[in-house]
Order: sequence, then structure tokens, then C-alpha cells
Amino acid sequence: MSDELRVSPIETREVPGKRRFAMVVDTRRCIGCMACQVACKAEYDTPLGVNRTWVPYKVVGKYPNVKKQFLPRLCNHCDDPPCVRNCPVGATYKHEDGGFVLQRYERCIGCRSCMAACPYNARFMLPSHRTYTPITNVVDKCTFCFHRVTQNLVPACVQTCIGRSRVFGDLNDPTSEVSYLVAKNATQVLRPEEGTKPHVFYIGADRNQTEFGRDAYRKPDVMELQRDAFKRHFNI
Amino acid sequence: MGDYVWFHDVSWHATYAIYFFVIGICAGLSFLSYGSWRTEALRPLREKAAYGSFALLVVGGLLLIGDLSQPLRFLNILNPAYLNFTSPLAWGALNIVAFGIASVLYLAALKQGSQARGKVLATVTALLALGLPIYTGYDLTVHQSRPVWNTPVMPVLFVALAIASGSAVGAILAGANESAQRLLREYLLWSTAAVGVILVSILGTTNYGGAAQELTFMILTTGTMGLIFVGIGIVVGTAAPIALLLAPFGRQQVGVVVAGVLVLAGGAALRYALLMGPQQLQTLY
Repeated sequence: MSDELRVSPIETREVPGKRRFAMVVDTRRCIGCMACQVACKAEYDTPLGVNRTWVPYKVVGKYPNVKKQFLPRLCNHCDDPPCVRNCPVGATYKHEDGGFVLQRYERCIGCRSCMAACPYNARFMLPSHRTYTPITNVVDKCTFCFHRVTQNLVPACVQTCIGRSRVFGDLNDPTSEVSYLVAKNATQVLRPEEGTKPHVFYIGADRNQTEFGRDAYRKPDVMELQRDAFKRHFNI
Repeated sequence: MGDYVWFHDVSWHATYAIYFFVIGICAGLSFLSYGSWRTEALRPLREKAAYGSFALLVVGGLLLIGDLSQPLRFLNILNPAYLNFTSPLAWGALNIVAFGIASVLYLAALKQGSQARGKVLATVTALLALGLPIYTGYDLTVHQSRPVWNTPVMPVLFVALAIASGSAVGAILAGANESAQRLLREYLLWSTAAVGVILVSILGTTNYGGAAQELTFMILTTGTMGLIFVGIGIVVGTAAPIALLLAPFGRQQVGVVVAGVLVLAGGAALRYALLMGPQQLQTLY
């Protein structure tokens, strides 16, 4: 089955001897505490206004039966990533063992081609100055906590998730928890029509959030002002 | 109500649209300089178009480098150890460099008055110039997740825009030269008509697409972006010059120049709207 589904030679689906890390996000268990966002910020000193992971929410339903529906977001570490194809200098690459999509900061020229290519908006430009970290003016993104995973730790967001909404593991290992969750639950990925084969699987995600809505057309102007102020401050 | 939305910055800002505009005229002028070796009517434009094309290449190159957030690393894109040939940007960089070298050699041949070498180099320069609008269009087309950008006719549209913009600048440079103006009127008319046809097909298919396509159509056709795209780009910059060129006034030299100015305004607006409009949708996703 896997050979038939594998299109690109860089895909890691059931390749013998290779790991294929993935994250399962069970939205039924997410309580919107944003601890994942904070843990990620602390782990990487991610600057103000940009995030490697973020948790947007929508209020769905009709009063009195309303609820907040969360959809934690991050880089999908696609098996066939368009950002890798589009980077003119090979600054973005896919790690063979594990399927991590990573960034070589010293090589990035800041053309933002990868940002344009990403259907998930997972990439962002680092501002021109940062307080503690010298990496500036290059594109950054979630790394699935490569430095932690290679030391047999789970990503910071998974470690801190109080509701155990985020589960991380090797999808090529049939005994892993992520393999079990993907096999036993109805899961979905974001924007499957793009053919990117994402490695972030959602359980119970709401269509109000996974699909383009009218909000994309009716932009709230008040937030535009905030974003403009942020961009001016960081000279983006 | 009460929703929490996370904003994302657009990837490519207006500088890139100005680059598209400048490099389109650069390619168009290169076509005209080549045309002067084939058609006697364009002979007065040969040197002017060649120098203008090279000057705009320098401006375009500086815009492109200045738009990088790491401008000093632009040499990375020419490093064979780094080059990623699946990226259209890599091919574009090689095309620009090759075009620059060919242009310098062509200008040197023109200065020396070497006819044989000039003709060969004009052909080489024009062929490389054709790659400039093709790669800029291809640069957008490969982003399959972006409605409008992902249409395969984008490189064709950019070639048509380059011919239209180059002919418009050529019409201004030609001044009172009647035979050149007559030919440039034909170029302007047909290339602008081609732009119009391609735009109609893009808008038509976009409006019949899925949710993302329909929302992009709405962004492009309403509000400020609608004013730029439909108002300046289509009505003022495409339909009006065609009508003008078909009218008796458009057969006069002043009419051709006025149509050329309108085409330039429309070309700038279209490139800006085509670059920025489709990016707006995803800023809220």
C-alpha cells in the first residue's frame, strides 16, 4: 500500500529503517490553556507577534449551547513539503530520518518563497532585532523540537499539554501511540487537497476552523491596526 | 464573535510588484531592440531600448536584492553548492545574470558598431529577456495553494504584460517617429487585447472555483483592491487603451502615447493586485 501512495522520493511513509515523526492533536481534549504556545515561546525565545505554534479558536453553536472550538496549529512537517521545493538555496530541507522539515538559518536569504509556498502559514520572518537570540531576519518555523526529539524527549508543546491533547511519536512504528490513534480514530489533516501529506493529524477538528470562512474576506480592521503597529516596531 | 484570529504577514510585499513592473518593461524594451534588426521601422529605437532595458535591469536587480531580508546573502542564490533547481527563483536568478551579461555584450557591440555581432547578441538577449516574464509568472504559478497565482496561464499573462509595457515605453521613446509609432500601435493593441483575454479567463475560472477561489475573487473585485484591479488594471489600463487605439484619435501619435501611458498605469496596477490580492486570503487562515 505504502509504495503505491508514495509519490515523491523524499517521502518517509513506511520506509524501512526510517522514522516518520507525527503529531496527533485531539481537539476534544484541548482546553485552550495556551500552555503549548507559552512552552514553545520559552523553548525558542520566539519574538513577540510571531509563533511557531498557535491556538486560534472560534465560538460555535447557538446560545445557550455554545462552546469554544480550539484548533492548535503548527508546521505540518509535510511528507511532500512545498517549502522545500521552493527554497532557491536549499535553506529548507527535510531530514531523512524522522521527516523533520528544518531550516538552515545561515543559508536563508530571506526571499520568503517558503512562506508563500506554505498552505498552512506555518512560517514567519524573524524580526531584525531580538533580545537574547542572534538569529534575525531569516524565516523560522516549528522544528518538531528536533533538538529534544533526538535526545528522546517529546516536543515542548507535547510535554506541557495538560489535557494530553497533543501526542507525538513515530508513525512508522506500528506500536507507537500516534500509530494507534491514527489507526483507531477518524482523523483529518489540514487542506488535504494540496497534496502535501501533513504529519499533524487532528481528531474531532471543526470544519468552521479547518476550512476558509467568510472571515477571510471580512477582515476586522481593528486587528489590522495592531498588526501594522507590530510590523512598524519590528521593521518587518 | 469572540473568536481569536491569528494574523499572518503576507509573504511578498509591494516591492516585488514594482520589480515585476520594472522587469516586464526591461524585457519588453529588449524585444523592441531585437525587433529593430528585423523591422526597419523600429531602427530609431535600437540603442534607446537597449540602454533603457539595461538600466531597468539594474533597478530591478537592486529592488530584488533590497527586498531580501538578508540582502548580502544574495550571492547564495548563485552558489552551485546551494542551488536548488526545483525552485523557480533559482532559475530566475540564473536567467537574470545571463541576461545581464548578454546585455552588456550587446551594448558593447552597439557601441562598436559591429552589425554581425550586434544582431546575434540582440537575438540572444531577446531570448533571455523572454525568460524574465516567464520566470516571474512561473514564480507565482508554482504556489498551488494560492488561488489566481496557481493558474498555468500566469507566465503567458506576464509575457503579454511585458510586451504591452515595453511597447508603451517604446511609444513614448519613439516621439514623433511616425513609422515606429504605427508599428508600436499594433503591438500595443494586440498585446493589451491578449492581456484582456487572459484576465477574463482567470477571473472566470476563479469565480467558479472552491471557497478559497471565490473569496479571492471577492477580494480582487471589491473594495480598495477592486479599485486597483478592476478600476485601474482592467478598465483604465486594458479596456480604455484598446478602445482608444481603435478610435480615430488612437491612430494619431498623441493617441498612441496616451494609450501607452494608460497601459503602463494598468500594467502596474495589475501586477500589484495579482501579487497582493491572492495573498490576503491566507493571512487569516
